[in-house]
Amino acid sequence: MFSRRISIAAVALLALAACAPPGQSAESGAGATGPIKIANVNAQSGQLSSLGQWEHKGVKLAIEEANKAGGINGRQIQLDLFDSQGDPTVGTNVARKISAEGYIAMLGTAESAVTLAMAPILKDAKIPNITSGQSPKLAELKSPFLFLNAPTSVTFDETLAKYLIDDKGYKKIALISNNGAYGSGEHDAFLAALKSRSVTPVADEVVTPDQKDFNSNLAKIREQGPEVLFIGAEEVQSGLIAKQSRELGIKSIFAGGAPMGTDVYADTAGLKNAEGSVVSSPYLSNEASDQIKAFAAKYKAAYNEEARMHVAKAYDGASIMIEALKQTNGEGGQKLADAIRGVKRAGLLGDYTYDANGVGIHATKIGLVKDGKVVPEVAS
Amino acid sequence: MQVFLQTLIGGVTFGAVYALVAMGFSIVYRTMGLVNFAHGSVVMIGAYAASTFYMATHVPFAIAIVVAIAVTGLIGLVIERFLRPLENKDFTLMLIGTIGFGAVLEAGAVLVWGATGHAVPSPVATEPLDLAGVRIPTYNLVVISVAALATGLLALFLQRTKRGAAMQAVAMDHQAATAVGIHVGRSNAMAFAIGAGLAALAGSLIGPMLYVNPTMGGTLGIKGFAAAMLGGFGSMPGAIVGGVAFGLLDAFAAGNFQEYSELVTFLVFAVVVMIRPTGIFGEATVNRA
Amino acid sequence: MKRLAFLVPVGVAAWLLPYGLGGYSMHVVAVAIIFAILAVGLGLTMGVAGQINLAQVAFFGVGAYTVAILCTRAGFGFWSAAVLALLVSVVFGVLVGIPALRMQSHYLGIVTLGLALAFTNWVTNATVAGRAEGISDIPVPVLFGLELSSAYLFYYVELVVFALALAFALFVTHSPLGRRLRAMRDDDLAAGALGAEIPLLRMTAFVLSGVYGGLAGVLYAGLIRFVAPESFNIANMFLLLAMVIIGGRASILGCVVGALALAAVREALLDVSAYAQLGYGIVVVLVVVFAPTGLAGLPHQFRRLLRRHGSGARLRLGPFQPYEQVAHAGDGENVLEVQGVTMRFKGLVALDDVSLTVPPGQIRGVVGPNGSGKTTLFNIVSGFYTPSAGKVRLRGLDVTGARPYRLSLRGVARTFQNLRLFEDLNVRENILLGLDRTRTSWIWRYAGLPWKVFGYQRALDARADEIIARFGLADFADAVPRALPYGIQRRVETARAMAMSPSLLLLDEPAAGLNGEEVRQLAEIVRSIRDSGATVVVIEHNMGLVMSLCDRITVLASGKVIAEGTPAEVAIAPAVVQAYLGDSMAAPTETAVEEATR
Repeated sequence: MFSRRISIAAVALLALAACAPPGQSAESGAGATGPIKIANVNAQSGQLSSLGQWEHKGVKLAIEEANKAGGINGRQIQLDLFDSQGDPTVGTNVARKISAEGYIAMLGTAESAVTLAMAPILKDAKIPNITSGQSPKLAELKSPFLFLNAPTSVTFDETLAKYLIDDKGYKKIALISNNGAYGSGEHDAFLAALKSRSVTPVADEVVTPDQKDFNSNLAKIREQGPEVLFIGAEEVQSGLIAKQSRELGIKSIFAGGAPMGTDVYADTAGLKNAEGSVVSSPYLSNEASDQIKAFAAKYKAAYNEEARMHVAKAYDGASIMIEALKQTNGEGGQKLADAIRGVKRAGLLGDYTYDANGVGIHATKIGLVKDGKVVPEVAS
Repeated sequence: MQVFLQTLIGGVTFGAVYALVAMGFSIVYRTMGLVNFAHGSVVMIGAYAASTFYMATHVPFAIAIVVAIAVTGLIGLVIERFLRPLENKDFTLMLIGTIGFGAVLEAGAVLVWGATGHAVPSPVATEPLDLAGVRIPTYNLVVISVAALATGLLALFLQRTKRGAAMQAVAMDHQAATAVGIHVGRSNAMAFAIGAGLAALAGSLIGPMLYVNPTMGGTLGIKGFAAAMLGGFGSMPGAIVGGVAFGLLDAFAAGNFQEYSELVTFLVFAVVVMIRPTGIFGEATVNRA
Repeated sequence: MKRLAFLVPVGVAAWLLPYGLGGYSMHVVAVAIIFAILAVGLGLTMGVAGQINLAQVAFFGVGAYTVAILCTRAGFGFWSAAVLALLVSVVFGVLVGIPALRMQSHYLGIVTLGLALAFTNWVTNATVAGRAEGISDIPVPVLFGLELSSAYLFYYVELVVFALALAFALFVTHSPLGRRLRAMRDDDLAAGALGAEIPLLRMTAFVLSGVYGGLAGVLYAGLIRFVAPESFNIANMFLLLAMVIIGGRASILGCVVGALALAAVREALLDVSAYAQLGYGIVVVLVVVFAPTGLAGLPHQFRRLLRRHGSGARLRLGPFQPYEQVAHAGDGENVLEVQGVTMRFKGLVALDDVSLTVPPGQIRGVVGPNGSGKTTLFNIVSGFYTPSAGKVRLRGLDVTGARPYRLSLRGVARTFQNLRLFEDLNVRENILLGLDRTRTSWIWRYAGLPWKVFGYQRALDARADEIIARFGLADFADAVPRALPYGIQRRVETARAMAMSPSLLLLDEPAAGLNGEEVRQLAEIVRSIRDSGATVVVIEHNMGLVMSLCDRITVLASGKVIAEGTPAEVAIAPAVVQAYLGDSMAAPTETAVEEATR
């Protein structure tokens, strides 16, 4: 008797579930009134939280300015911060959260792996995303809703290789990179750039992101006596590698991407050791142009700390988003994505013109580290 | 050959630091039977305390280290007071309780010092020594000798002083020590404070070699723990030998297996421990019968 | 089973949940369920079986990565990949479990943690695993032609899997296997002496861990459709640990509650994560210090507080009901033969060329001063030690160096000098452990023929009732041993040994700590045990008891047999008197001799 009742109930439940899969409550699309909701997703905790915090400050600065200037045709922008914790799983959670809660656009994250995890969900939800990641894989996705606010590693390293080999004529080049998302992207891109110039590296050492002792790797590199040592790692590890290299008596010139243009790199390596490092970056220093100087001053006034590339590119990304929103009158979806693609902007990192893969900047500049600061290298 | 020797230098230097961490694990474990997984985070706090003081006041680095040892020793006493109910108890609880404490310390460091961390300028600014092409940074020599000195002092303390002898007695037999009038609680607190002090020493020393940030404790803790196990958990000579052995294992794995070094290190470690679960110097308390 | 009736409304509520939740909350719930499955697996390995396994998150990763690799690189369908993924994670579980055969506790913890790191390192490097960027584009799983792309549909799949996984975990914990696992957690030596194959049980725990980790990994791959190394890192392992500890590690339902609760809290505090970490660290410390049994243990802790005020009815130890007399099989073969056994420990000779023969139906006493090697002899006969030289035969069969569980299954039962009852199991369960005579290889039935297990359990229950009644323990059947007076604990241990229906019973100082009346009852019980057909060897210091109870006595001193004979012969042997002089133990008194020779 009892069991029959259960089975009836079970059948009823099954039927309920089978024929009426509950649908999502009506999408709260972009209403014509009220604030425009934009999500900023970045790691606020964990290993990469410093990156996430800089990115957020840059985004916030841009949005606050826009709001003070009257917002998007009179509507204010509501910026909310979400913590990805640097974890792709959390990232997918957040992606679903922002799509369910009516955000029409997203800015961030600084970790390519997290952005890669979020991209398919955002694409399905038609939420345009301007990311701070620079992995070539982001461009390979060819998602119409994913845009980069910086060049990919391919551009960084192509510029670098061009400078080192074509301009300076170095031939003996060694590589050391970590196997993290950033490091391996740099490694592959730089290696490809070398290959296209038929240069074979004299050494190619790979380390783990957690590694602190590079004596064995560097001793092998030292045996080859390279003219240039390419370092593909985040700020701190790049600094440690540079420091230990000099301690081991490696005299090569250090070369690398944006991380080597930071004060964290210079401080970790020691100013003397970092001297002369070659940096390929779209944003060399806070003094590179009048536009950048003004921005750096603005940033300093707001947060009482020096501006840096991460801040600047996040600011550029947010500015592009605001410009596009003005064109769509606050509307999101496909229209917003198309508007972003159409934005032509002279930003802090350079001139943005988006291609089909969502990459907006296609050039970087070469700078040299002098006394802990990057000085643009004038083409000779 | 040069590569080999250079790898050796790096391995021994980091090995000395692992040895200090391992000694901290061991002295707490042998005295009170507590496996303190928060130890790595205590190392991190020590590194922050020393470097912050050093950079803010520009006093000699040695004084900064002493300050860090004092601060961290105090934190050690607080932790010990909290975890006292767990001593000599269920291992699983101890594990998770001290991990919880580690999480608290790490979150505290983020709130106090921020998530970014800072680089510490090297207190020794002379050129590295050059021995037939093998370069030894002077600071590495400082690290190795300070670690050796600390080990010596600790051995003297344990063997030559009354307090030390009391701690040895507690380590050997809890109840018998109580019976002859040794204050076990005080001995335990002392062991914890010494353990925390060793952590601070390790942290201060490694600060200028690395970069101080809130997450630095995780890897150091795990590797120091593994080192303690390799040598024989609870054995002080074991901690030193284990530390250096693990440092060398790490260094040679990095040189020979590149990005797979971590995989190789831990597989080798697992196999060695399988063959000799009690470590090089042995410990009688495994699989207590 | 009735206690689990509340699961029915919970299940219905879970089934109806999607009707009340938005798309995002649904996703959060779906992720929480995956963590709940992981927590159940960890609860089984760590809470129930006591194996410190910090590689659970790697098993999770193995499951997810296998699905991802097979689907995107080898063109497998989702479900066939899922089956293979389960197999792979079980294999991985077995590999990670191997160290558990050699080490336990923090040693095992750090080795499994190291292996988990090794796994993460491998997926970060291997091209097939997508390296640091992981694998995206895992195809949407299709079930009965329905694309499970929405969290709602996938939720139902998850719910069914979760219900089955939970049911199986509950079934295992409440079955004979679960009891053995818990016994192994409490005291692996005693569990071995009761017939539990410790190595196989440890591997079983890791296999279960692998199954649950793999299951969660498969669901993860289907839900998130993206895998990357960071998702399986140490931080998530510690989160998982916190779930299990906060929920209550020994209770499967507690683990589920802990996982769901912490997943919800983590979600709520997503935007203030530095404080969230601080908070969760503090909560873990508080739980560990003040509520070591976790949320699941709280009701019990409250009840105990309340009960302290009310006084229960006074419980009484019932009389022992003697066994029926059975004539001994008169084939005359000796039950136990110890031949020239020597045992050395690092230079110390504990036993020196000891020989001893016990015919069926005898009560043999083994006496001697402290440190004369009596317990070492027992440890050799019950398989805890392998002798340095010499042979041990059971009914003519050479069993030298056989493992304790083998000897136990061959009919050797023992008690321990310091009582080794399983403290976290009640009296009935202690006795059920003795009754369970199956080999661990029997466990395939748990997956294949679960109803057989139920039948077996019912049969065991009936026999446990019988033994509990026989030893007069009915009032204490549901009590945990440490709550009982010492004399009763001794009787429970004897009952547990007799539950094994042994042909050879080894009693190690059964009268220690007993009062006069209890000693008298003990003698009665031992005689009855002998009459039931078992052979008994007893180590005892109480000479009155030895002289009156034993048929023959072997006297050991400094690891050597110095005398053997009837009580009367032994009592007057000069070597015995010599050995006892100056020893704190009283030499056999004249009264005792008289009593024995009467």
